Amino acid sequence: MFGDYQNVVTMSVYGSSIALILIGLYGVLIKKHLMKIVIGLSVVDSGVNLMFVAVGYIKGGTAPIFSPSVIDSKPLMVDPVPQALVLTAIVIGFAVTAVALSLVIRLFKHHNTARIDQIKSLKW
Amino acid sequence: MVISPVHYIAVPLLAAFTIPLFAKIHKELTRIIPGIVLIYLTYVSYVLMSKVMTTGPIVEIIAGWKAPWGINLVYNGFSGFIASLMSIMGLLIWIYSYKFKKVDDEPALKFYILFLMMVAGSIGITITGDVFNMFVFLEIVGITSYSLTAFYRGRDGAEAAFKYLLIGSFASVFLLLGILLLYTHVGTLNMAQIAERMHTIPTSVKLSIFVMFAVALGIEAEMFPLNGWAPDAYSQAPGPVGAAFSGIVVKAGVYALIRIIFTLFDIEGSLQFLIVMGLITMIIAEVSAIRQTNLKRMLAYSSIGQMGVVLIGFGIGTTEAIFAAIFLMFNHAIIKGLLFLSGSFLVYNDDKKQIASLSRFGKKLPVVSFLFALGAFAIVGFPPFAGFWSKLYLLLAAADKNLIFLIAIILMVSVVEVIYYLRVVGKLYFGKEESKIEPKKPAFNSLIVMLILGAIIILVGVYPDVITGFIHNAADTLSDKATYISNVLPSL
Repeated sequence: MFGDYQNVVTMSVYGSSIALILIGLYGVLIKKHLMKIVIGLSVVDSGVNLMFVAVGYIKGGTAPIFSPSVIDSKPLMVDPVPQALVLTAIVIGFAVTAVALSLVIRLFKHHNTARIDQIKSLKW
Repeated sequence: MVISPVHYIAVPLLAAFTIPLFAKIHKELTRIIPGIVLIYLTYVSYVLMSKVMTTGPIVEIIAGWKAPWGINLVYNGFSGFIASLMSIMGLLIWIYSYKFKKVDDEPALKFYILFLMMVAGSIGITITGDVFNMFVFLEIVGITSYSLTAFYRGRDGAEAAFKYLLIGSFASVFLLLGILLLYTHVGTLNMAQIAERMHTIPTSVKLSIFVMFAVALGIEAEMFPLNGWAPDAYSQAPGPVGAAFSGIVVKAGVYALIRIIFTLFDIEGSLQFLIVMGLITMIIAEVSAIRQTNLKRMLAYSSIGQMGVVLIGFGIGTTEAIFAAIFLMFNHAIIKGLLFLSGSFLVYNDDKKQIASLSRFGKKLPVVSFLFALGAFAIVGFPPFAGFWSKLYLLLAAADKNLIFLIAIILMVSVVEVIYYLRVVGKLYFGKEESKIEPKKPAFNSLIVMLILGAIIILVGVYPDVITGFIHNAADTLSDKATYISNVLPSL
């Protein structure tokens, strides 16, 4: 019974990460408002990050912290590498979002609108 | 102090974040420090390249973790050549932009911080031996490129930058998913170890990982249909940034794509894929270039077209063809650098950067016009300029493999290239009426850089031997995958 419960949790994590990516892509591709596009980008990022954590998870694993007492008991640990990657990816996503928001402010001041269908100085 | 490849990344990043402090001591330090850093990087390139040519590749282990576990930097014939090219181009662009925004110091400060980070990121992409580390550097290059594209408030830079940012974010999502899928199958991020374990992955999974990587890196490498950002970004960014895009950023993208294809994946047909993508990129870009009325957009499309030719060269796959492709990358960096730097003076006072406004500039700006014409002749491959040799070697390599059809298309597209470049040169010297726009006289330091680039083009054109030794070594290193793996992982 416990195993089934675990499987459901794992599958729902994978499912929600894919759902987040798709929702974000929908926002980026369909929405016309610049802020919604930026929100979409950051939702896609969260989806990818969630998937990274889900991939690194090992059933019944503990936190991957190394200490002398761990050597004897040899507990099952989750994979630390994806967690380290996610930390980096979150920081990068934050930086990209910050740049995107500052560009939105610039575009809004320049064109007095934040809808991409009304900004066409360059050929889109 | 022992000179090691890690200086390429550490020194410019440290300098970029400490320039604001030095600027408090003396204003001029803002402009001088990037120069010192780039001169130092050129010196590092000189020392390391001579070491690589005599004793072989240098593998640098970061923070004491050995190759499969930690991050390592691989400085071999190919990555070293591209890294050296980037640091020299960075130095030349610094000299060119020394008086950039002379009246106002704050924009100059921001410009140099971003520029140094862009150089560090691009060199990082080339010398890293770790897939995720490459992603981080790609994002550093991305974020700095977006900011530099939007540098001028008056132009439509923000729009071009936002477009670039959207495409770039897709690239990073694809690259992350590709790395994730790769990691779940091989359990490592080290490029050499991935290359070694690649045969254990089922072909269908391998193919989907490859597509994700190719899409992500194709965006930086201006591969069709992922190059929509390029013309806008080139035309809205400041002149030196355009030269830096074509000389540094795009080279990093092409390098990463080639490294992935040649070292990581050994997929049947990936070379044919490169040839086809290169052909489509080249044809569409050159045909679009002929329709442009904006000089910078025209140069941008020409830049995309040249990258298509480079991809074809790598796609043919023989050592001679790889040699030609690397030679073409080198030539494109110096020639397109010259064209962007001189071109941005030609259209300096025209807001729309129209080719039509260049009429009879040959009299008003004799030196700059002459250098632009020299660059135009060199890039279409007239002898005795540098571009001639790379194109000749590429066609010879294609002829060796009996790819007559390919040769025919490349030559036909070259005619298109000749037409649109000679149209501009003709306008410069034989325009019907004199243009009303007063040109901007180039500053002394900018003129020196353009003359240096022109001299290099003629020197390489007359004596290609000065550079071919390095390029031969680079081509040999790239095609030898087993040595790459054994250099990084000596115990296995």
